[in-house]
Amino acid sequence: MKKVMTGNEAAAVAAKLARIQVVSAYPITPQTVIVESLSEMIGRNELKARYMPVESEHSAMASVIGASMTGARVFTASSSHGLVYMHEMLHYAAGARVPVVMVNCNRALGPPWNLYCDHTDSLAQRDTGWSQYYCADVQDVLDAILIAYYVAEQAFLPVMISMDAFYLTHTSEIADVPDQEAVDIFLPPFKPSDKLDVNDPKTFGNVCGANLFASIKYGRHRDTLSLEEVWDRASTRFCDHFNRPHPAVEAYKTEDAYVCVVATGSAGGAIRLAVDRLRQEGVRAGGLRLAMVRPFPRRAFEKAIPTARHMIVIDRDVSFGAEGILAQELKAFLFDHHRDVKLTGFVAGVGGNDISTDTVVGLVQQAILGVGTAVEAGTTLWTDVLP
Amino acid sequence: MESEKRIFKRLADLPIMPSTIGTMAWNRTGDWRYLTPVVADKAAPCAQACPAGIPVPVYLNALRNGRLQSGLGLLLSHNPLPGLTGRFCHHPCQAKCVRRKIDNAISIRRIERSLADLSNNAAIQKIGKTDKRVAVIGSGPLGLSCAFYLGCRGCRVAVLDPQDRAGGVLAGLSPEKIDPQLLEDEIGRLLHLAEITLETGVALDFRRLGEGVPEADFIILDPTGFSEGNAFPAGIAEFDPFTEGPPDSRIVSAKLPENLEQFKPSLIAHYIGAGRQTAIKVLDMFAEPSGQPGISGPNPQRRQVVNAEDIRLERFQSSDHSGPAKGKEEKWEWERVFEETKRCLSCGACNQCLQCATFCPDASIRPDETAVTVDLEHCKGCGICAYECPRGVITMEAVSS
Repeated sequence: MKKVMTGNEAAAVAAKLARIQVVSAYPITPQTVIVESLSEMIGRNELKARYMPVESEHSAMASVIGASMTGARVFTASSSHGLVYMHEMLHYAAGARVPVVMVNCNRALGPPWNLYCDHTDSLAQRDTGWSQYYCADVQDVLDAILIAYYVAEQAFLPVMISMDAFYLTHTSEIADVPDQEAVDIFLPPFKPSDKLDVNDPKTFGNVCGANLFASIKYGRHRDTLSLEEVWDRASTRFCDHFNRPHPAVEAYKTEDAYVCVVATGSAGGAIRLAVDRLRQEGVRAGGLRLAMVRPFPRRAFEKAIPTARHMIVIDRDVSFGAEGILAQELKAFLFDHHRDVKLTGFVAGVGGNDISTDTVVGLVQQAILGVGTAVEAGTTLWTDVLP
Repeated sequence: MESEKRIFKRLADLPIMPSTIGTMAWNRTGDWRYLTPVVADKAAPCAQACPAGIPVPVYLNALRNGRLQSGLGLLLSHNPLPGLTGRFCHHPCQAKCVRRKIDNAISIRRIERSLADLSNNAAIQKIGKTDKRVAVIGSGPLGLSCAFYLGCRGCRVAVLDPQDRAGGVLAGLSPEKIDPQLLEDEIGRLLHLAEITLETGVALDFRRLGEGVPEADFIILDPTGFSEGNAFPAGIAEFDPFTEGPPDSRIVSAKLPENLEQFKPSLIAHYIGAGRQTAIKVLDMFAEPSGQPGISGPNPQRRQVVNAEDIRLERFQSSDHSGPAKGKEEKWEWERVFEETKRCLSCGACNQCLQCATFCPDASIRPDETAVTVDLEHCKGCGICAYECPRGVITMEAVSS
């Protein structure tokens, strides 16, 4: 059924459709609506789940880890400072191999205090071992959460679904809400064979000597790499059921593109429009929306850029002292593949600055012609900076 | 809890979730320990203040667990005349009671007195059996106490009193001050439990005492056995049980410190303690282990102490019961005694509250028969148990392995 809803509402609806059994979350703008909606659903008995109130995000993640270990399907959501407060537990969740699914609403980190969109909060968690998927629109939020549970429970690894603060969390769009029966067929109940059971006591997360440590970490690394394939299969299966694709990499007119604009999140729409305009102006441009950042979708990415000679990366984040995080990721990928590709990295759209079609066109022009308003710092060009 | 260590040889054999198969008991984390939790009952402030060294929390713990007979037994192990102390002693124990910092002191006096009234039948375990014969001359509180502990240790004790009424200085008090029936009952229980004999109106020639009691291996004269005015016989070797080693002659008279020479009923516990101490020294003379003269119960002189500052008051709540009763001293029934025992903080005495076991991160503490035992194979020495123990029983100590 088609409904008008915000990204936050879509996230709550998706969690309900996934028949989550335990929610533990701490409110933070712009995520609050998600947990408010879920608590109301539980309060109205529309959702048979336990809501565990906690005093912090760290405890929220710790709670869902414990609940997940007992075999429950769990959900949490956070943003910005709340997410970075979870950092320790994010590592733990992945190490404990619990299929937790969480939503992060990408918001800037203070100081200076700012509630608006910025990807540094979740990209700073890229080494925690979570799969990271960044949504393009409200429908993507709803569907990706359902796919995420399927993927997480296949691989016994946690998945973080991120959406841009306000551009998605608080913007209403039309979304197709699938029927519960159809979702139940797509997403069977979570029934792990190995779980925390008081009748079969075990120690979890216990001490491990050097003899097994590397093997366990290696096994996890290998399983995490396989998530690209797991996501591919799961999203294909989802598409079979609901006729909506959610690939790890969304390519737009890249088959013959010489210039390729890369970004993640809701900027994908502006990039598509910019690509169209650039092509009208005679630039052989293409757009790439990197939906999955972890694991880095190497195969999908390789396939999507057959002719690219110039990659223009728009980061809504920065690794201070280095450059944009996506730019780093792409450079690492391109180096591995010995691609003779030029890469221009921009930091744009942070802290509430819009990435419009004009912005993207302007950045592409500056990358090609070397003339524009973005200012240089190291290998990065920053937009929206005072002269 | 032993479990076999399983060896993984192939990556494919590893479980997805890092978890143990079986227990972690094989991992002997006790090796990591620098400091060791030592579980040891310590003398509470009340016991430290008691002239007879009565370990109050220990017998209150028995009562709290509903064991009236063993509670009375533990009390008698330091005080065989509770009906008298419960009436006459000035109870310095209550003045030092840590509970006063929360609401009121435990009414130790009322418990003592009520216990004496409630039961004559204490669970007393006699230790040892010797063929030594002892004559105690005089049946005052010191002599009776000494005779009691020697009797409990299996000595064959005869208490001989030249007066017609037993009780020594106590028998000399007016009936208004001390109910003659009470005195008789208290002495009767003492004799019965320790299986010793008492003879009053005995004609004794103090100049030829050794010949008068030929069967006795040892004869001791009780300075409280003679009511005021009766001349204490001269020319007999004096023996100070508090400062001297075992007596070295067959006939001695117990020597009291100066402040106790003049008998005062309110100081009765001092005489009882002195009698117990005398018994300890006599047993030493007989080369009988004297740590526990007669019946079970710790010896306060040899124990570590716990101070009021060591008790974690914030762990306790104020109670509805008022503590020491004011006004009319009506008799307490068992239920009321029982309620009062529950107020005791049990300073320095493990009452198996298991706060330590609850918080032990290594599940290395288990209750045993009377206290708790630490599994030193696995205890890492974190000290949480010592921090959590509200009553100063557990201390972290450097123990050489």
